[in-house]
Amino acid sequence: MATTSLRTSTGYRSGLYDWLTTTDHKKIGILYLANSILMFLVGGVFALIVRLELAQPGLQFLTDAQYNQAFTIHASLMLFLFVIPVLAGFGNYIVPLMIGAPDMAFPRINAFSFWLLPLAAIVMLSGFATGGGAAAAGWTEYSPLAQAKYEGIGTDLWIVALLLIGTSSILGAINFIVTIFKMRAPGMTLLRMPVMVWTVLVTSILVLMATPVLTSALIMLFIDRNLGGHFFDPATGGNAILWQNTFWFYSHPAVYIMILPAMGIISEVLPVFSRKPLFGYKAFIFATAAIGALGFSVWAHHMFTTGAVYLPFFSFMTFLIAIPTGVKFFNWIATMFRGQLTFSTPLLYAVGFLTMFLIGGINGAFSAAVPVDFALHDTYWVVAHIHYVLFGGSVFAVFAGLFYWWPKMFGRRLNETLGKIQFVFMFIGFNLTFFPMHMLGLSGMPRRIADYDPNAGWNDLNLLATIGGFTIALSILPFLWNVFITFRSGEPAGDDPWEGNTLEWATSSPPPPYNFDHLPEIRSERPVFDARHGATHG
Amino acid sequence: MSIPRPQPPRSARSLAALVAVALLLAGCAALEPPAAVTSQGQDTRTLYDFVFIIGVGIFVLVEALIIFAVLRYRRKPGDTELPPQIHGNSVLEVIWTVIPTLLVIVLFVFSWQTLNKVNAVSPAPALTVRAVAAQFQWSFEYLAADGQTVQYEQLAPELDLPVGVDVHVILRSKDVIHAFYVPKFLFKRDVVPGRENNFDFTIDAADANQTFRGQCAEFCGTFHSTMLFSVKALTPTDFNTWLQQQIKAAAATPAPAPSASGGAAETTVELSAHNIAFDQTAVQAPAGQPFVIKFTNNDPGVTHNVAITDSSGQQVFKGEIFAGPDSREYPIPALAAGTYTFACSVHPQMTGTLTVK
Repeated sequence: MATTSLRTSTGYRSGLYDWLTTTDHKKIGILYLANSILMFLVGGVFALIVRLELAQPGLQFLTDAQYNQAFTIHASLMLFLFVIPVLAGFGNYIVPLMIGAPDMAFPRINAFSFWLLPLAAIVMLSGFATGGGAAAAGWTEYSPLAQAKYEGIGTDLWIVALLLIGTSSILGAINFIVTIFKMRAPGMTLLRMPVMVWTVLVTSILVLMATPVLTSALIMLFIDRNLGGHFFDPATGGNAILWQNTFWFYSHPAVYIMILPAMGIISEVLPVFSRKPLFGYKAFIFATAAIGALGFSVWAHHMFTTGAVYLPFFSFMTFLIAIPTGVKFFNWIATMFRGQLTFSTPLLYAVGFLTMFLIGGINGAFSAAVPVDFALHDTYWVVAHIHYVLFGGSVFAVFAGLFYWWPKMFGRRLNETLGKIQFVFMFIGFNLTFFPMHMLGLSGMPRRIADYDPNAGWNDLNLLATIGGFTIALSILPFLWNVFITFRSGEPAGDDPWEGNTLEWATSSPPPPYNFDHLPEIRSERPVFDARHGATHG
Repeated sequence: MSIPRPQPPRSARSLAALVAVALLLAGCAALEPPAAVTSQGQDTRTLYDFVFIIGVGIFVLVEALIIFAVLRYRRKPGDTELPPQIHGNSVLEVIWTVIPTLLVIVLFVFSWQTLNKVNAVSPAPALTVRAVAAQFQWSFEYLAADGQTVQYEQLAPELDLPVGVDVHVILRSKDVIHAFYVPKFLFKRDVVPGRENNFDFTIDAADANQTFRGQCAEFCGTFHSTMLFSVKALTPTDFNTWLQQQIKAAAATPAPAPSASGGAAETTVELSAHNIAFDQTAVQAPAGQPFVIKFTNNDPGVTHNVAITDSSGQQVFKGEIFAGPDSREYPIPALAAGTYTFACSVHPQMTGTLTVK
């Protein structure tokens, strides 16, 4: 009895222990994804609270102070604890598999990077338990408003949470860079790496160069607030614009941190479901590098109305970003041309990404034209823009990636019908929510207001946006149900359900510890395709 | 490859195309900014329209390509052979790099030119106003020709301006960052503490006697949404008359303090303000005799007052504007029975009903 109980104690308890202590990049990747999706749901609840309050003029549900906390925490969770980590999660899971490596270069640091994130979430949200409530100065925390005389301890907790997340990001970036440069399988040259790996590499370089700047700024703000510093408060001789410069020097590249790996996912999904190679692989990599490089010269386009930046330079650099982004678009579309498209859920989300992220690109060009930005800055137009980029872009790519790699992660396919129902509701809800915001912004509705004049002509559009918001929430239900039934009785996927191109499809689903028993020959960016069909010249 | 595919009927396709075009036109019509009322705003509008046309062109082209690919290149049951494995085309890459580059340069040059017009500041403006922002109110200082001396300080958030002449605005913040934003100017500029931003504009003569809404556009704290103001466009003659009246009224001796001894039997109405709201939205007072409103402002640093208007919209009393925490006793003249509205001059959204009977 005693010996058998020892042997069979690999039950629930030790399974949990295994997840809590794992250094396997696949399990850590899944932890990243699970934690990020949880944060997406929590952040979504805050979004619904905001939309509920704005559905009609007047304050029905919240006080002004509570409203400000709701939108601040919504944005902070979605950006720092959902979009960035969810893409890091995909990277963690898929990068070692794609380059034929057994694990990340530093498995323990990898686990540490992850576990900082739930801790950060707890610290940030614990602001609600303090007297003054959670951080409420917006996710941008502009000084002097973020100073101690205006905002309570919730802001300190927010700063600490962001320091933890920043540390996690920096460690993760170093881990990715070392893994990609040192652990590729024989034959996996840089120009045979999947585009997803390239986007993670460029993203990691951005993180490594930008995040320390934010970290320094956060520490300076903390010193201002708690130790009598004078960095950012003009009342004590500081400079309010300095905060914006340091903040956006990180936070604009962060937008590319939040979109480049999403573009990577799309660049994996489109070729597989078109049965064609990615059109213009090298052009795509150059475009990715160009976006990364240009990303460091456009931060002040968030500051056009401050009167404190040299406008023509930042305007020009911002316009330039359109060129590599355009190259990517045309390459994606050319990938589909003359292909054989199979509309499984991943492709549905990828096409959703193309149609919607396009709008996020075009409505961003308006803000690059400085005088037009004078009209649109800090209005709901900008809220529409960021959501067309980060929801129409990143979130759609996240679901494309989840449906695409789920069979690899868990050995079972998510239900296609539920996936399509989810897509339809999400696509409609997304446009109902965010398209009217263009009109609200043009007619002068500033962002971050708890209430608005009933005679301003904004009532109907706000109600529409709220209905759209709840439609998005509705679309999450089939997803949760899908996850539940797939774990219980999902269709077994097999090793390579989609006829994939890249190395993760050359191992079992889910892959064993250390990933591969043997690797196929790597002679192009599509080794598994080559093994199946023979090489086509690249 | 060239197997004939079943096509939807021609009428269904043209209907779908018609719906798409109708949606697009509706979208375009909905994305029209308000008509600009300043000459700078009209320049911005021209630029907006230009960017919009290019944006719609790109949108239609790219979405059409996506929809075409999605409809045309679906995998059919007979597709067992791989489609042609095309890895790229350098000529195409050059084309779709060069054309967007040219487009971007045109957009940049046009927006730079417009920027120079919108940002131009006259060496000799006809009027200089300093807009002062603080949590959570606007006030406006009308400066003399020297650009220094304050001729008149308007504490209510109403910016009266002459049309047809160049107006220079200087921005000053007393605390955090705010933004001066008038949607119909198609313009905003941040009010940054420690920094004096300024800009010029000329309101069209045709827009005299109109009022435009303005609002703080940079999140400035708890009651950010209450930081409203309005811009009232006057003919230059009307404006000068108005300004002289205000200067004279401000210079006149303030109304005598309420006699503490005289009317011992006077009714006192208590009213207070907290969190940019009155504590009561309905108060009562006796008809036909003077009474006192004891007004307590509980908002630290925020200015309030009580002003009373009758049912025809005529102002019958305007109390002194002062910052909290503090209180004032306003002597109200005898009022005829009826229903009046009381409001804060600084925060027009703070209102209530005064019933006199």
